[in-house]
Amino acid sequence: MNAKRTAVIAICLTVIAAFPVLASGAQEGAGGSDTIHIALTAPITGDYAEYGVNFRRSVEMAMDEINKDGGVLGKQFTLSVGDSKGDPKESANLAQKWTSDATIVAEIGDFTSTCCLAAQPIYDRAGMVQLSPTASHTKFAPGSEWSFSIVGTQAYEQPFMADFAHDDLGFKNIAILYINNDWGVDTQKFFKESFEKLGGDVVAEESFFQGEKDFKAALTKLKQSHPDALYMAAMYNDGALISKQREALGWDIPVLGPSSLYSSQLIELGGSAVNGLYTNVSFFAKDPDPRIQAYVTGFEERYGATPNFHAALAYDAMYILADAIKKAGSTDRKAIRDALAQEKNFKGLTGEITFTENGDAIKSYKAVEVKKGDFELYN
Amino acid sequence: MVERGPTVFLQQLINGITQGSLFALLAISFSLVWGLLKLVNFALGEVYMFGAFTGWLIFTYWVENLAVALLASIVVGWVLGWLIEKVAFKALRGVPHIASLVCTIGFSFFLKESAAAIFGVETKAMPAFLSESAFTLAGANVSWLQILMIALAALMLLILQFLFYRTRIGLGVRAVSLDYRTAGLMGINVDRVISVAFSLSGAIAAFVGVLAAVYYNAVNPTMGFIPGLKGFTAAVFGGITSIPGAILGGYLLGIIENLGVQFISSGYRDLISFGILIVFLLLRPNGILGKKAKL
Repeated sequence: MNAKRTAVIAICLTVIAAFPVLASGAQEGAGGSDTIHIALTAPITGDYAEYGVNFRRSVEMAMDEINKDGGVLGKQFTLSVGDSKGDPKESANLAQKWTSDATIVAEIGDFTSTCCLAAQPIYDRAGMVQLSPTASHTKFAPGSEWSFSIVGTQAYEQPFMADFAHDDLGFKNIAILYINNDWGVDTQKFFKESFEKLGGDVVAEESFFQGEKDFKAALTKLKQSHPDALYMAAMYNDGALISKQREALGWDIPVLGPSSLYSSQLIELGGSAVNGLYTNVSFFAKDPDPRIQAYVTGFEERYGATPNFHAALAYDAMYILADAIKKAGSTDRKAIRDALAQEKNFKGLTGEITFTENGDAIKSYKAVEVKKGDFELYN
Repeated sequence: MVERGPTVFLQQLINGITQGSLFALLAISFSLVWGLLKLVNFALGEVYMFGAFTGWLIFTYWVENLAVALLASIVVGWVLGWLIEKVAFKALRGVPHIASLVCTIGFSFFLKESAAAIFGVETKAMPAFLSESAFTLAGANVSWLQILMIALAALMLLILQFLFYRTRIGLGVRAVSLDYRTAGLMGINVDRVISVAFSLSGAIAAFVGVLAAVYYNAVNPTMGFIPGLKGFTAAVFGGITSIPGAILGGYLLGIIENLGVQFISSGYRDLISFGILIVFLLLRPNGILGKKAKL
């Protein structure tokens, strides 16, 4: 009887202990001299899993393509993937793991600015490139010479959106609903600043936390301020929920938001509630550019899903890193950083990438609108 | 610019009561098991999530019928509750409760990661039911779904009340929760009562999962975490040893949260809820209606 109990306790504890390990799915790549070992940190599980999974898909796809073309410096790339679960602590742990592995030459990731910022000091101390496809917080890239971001910061994107909302769409009073994390606060701040500079008025602001599913209370409150439009600083899954609940409350109002809303999932989840929504893109899946079409069809064939902006950014991250390693002519961590910092007019899927002195990328933006269940360029 | 007054207050009250229905039912799930075993089943949030996925599977692959989905989720929740009892409690009988508690946390992770592995991590859309406005009360919008949810919650509460006070198994549950040793000596099959209570609590959680998923139009593997904690909070708030207390706690929590958003800020929403949890655990661990803890 006692042995049985002990066995059951053991099983329970094993289940608990094993899960984070199983979920992280880290594969140790071989660190031989004929390979270049890269690490990817992404939220493969947890609230941001859909973004993390797309990171892994795109990076693996780009890596396979580069390897098929003979790799770089005559070497093949190998990848280790670590699951940060969208948790800054996990992201920092993974940074410790990657930087203490001498075979790893550079890291791609993480997804959220919060996670990237948590891991930043570790990469900085160890001297390893931390190349985030998506961290758009204005403090991230300038925070360390080893930190780079491809997405372009909110300091560039939000003035574009404010200008679009004020001048093109003619909104004067706007209510903002934003996610309460580093990214959301930054987005809200830069949008508000730029919009008010143009003479517009932000009449109400409410925030929500990651994982929240009930937006009705916040929407009811925002509605009272009678704005011309609602600005959602949210990811597309939250954005779709917000739109649905807005519709259920019978609040008919134009909605707009940052490029994080650009995803086919927004339309799938939001249905009719997201019709007429405005956002912007640097990457547009329906762009006739043959390179973009090759990527989109390749991604669809391989994974059965249409890549979104975040996925394309991760794809660009892998290619620009490979390019920097080629230019560095070495897999030395410092040489890679220096070559990456020199990247100019790199032709990515998400537009040309030139790093500023701080390690931020400057991008160009196009306004889009949801029409009859599809994104279309606004004109 | 900002209009105050009855309309907005009423709308937030309606939002709060609807959300409160979800919390109240979840709180009952928690207090059912707690009443019998002084054990918190931390996997209930994930049973709720599995209930929601059951509904999603039925809507997507079979038939868009809310009643069918709710019934199916009750079956799935019942089975999961039963399973959790067999592993986390029955097999660990006699060892300190902490082992069972930790085991339910293990189950919570196990179910969450299983759902992510089976269904994928993407948020999935639930079809909308009865989302049209039923009536507007002084400018506040009430949808059919909200009415249905409140009605279903009330119905569930009545059924449970009947179950507890009019059936033999209900009598067993009450007897075991008073003193399981004496109840056992009186010829009550304690094992069976505990098994039924776990299953019932799982069934309720899964049922709520479908309602919530339809109300919010979305399912994903991590959706159960916060509602699980809020359900537990509501149970502690109202009095975890008492079913009417759990109901009261659920509705009060829903209303306080929504009015808190209105009068303070939505950024403080979870702060309010979990602040209540801490205050009650510290000052009044038996909750509003809870009985004094027995020795």
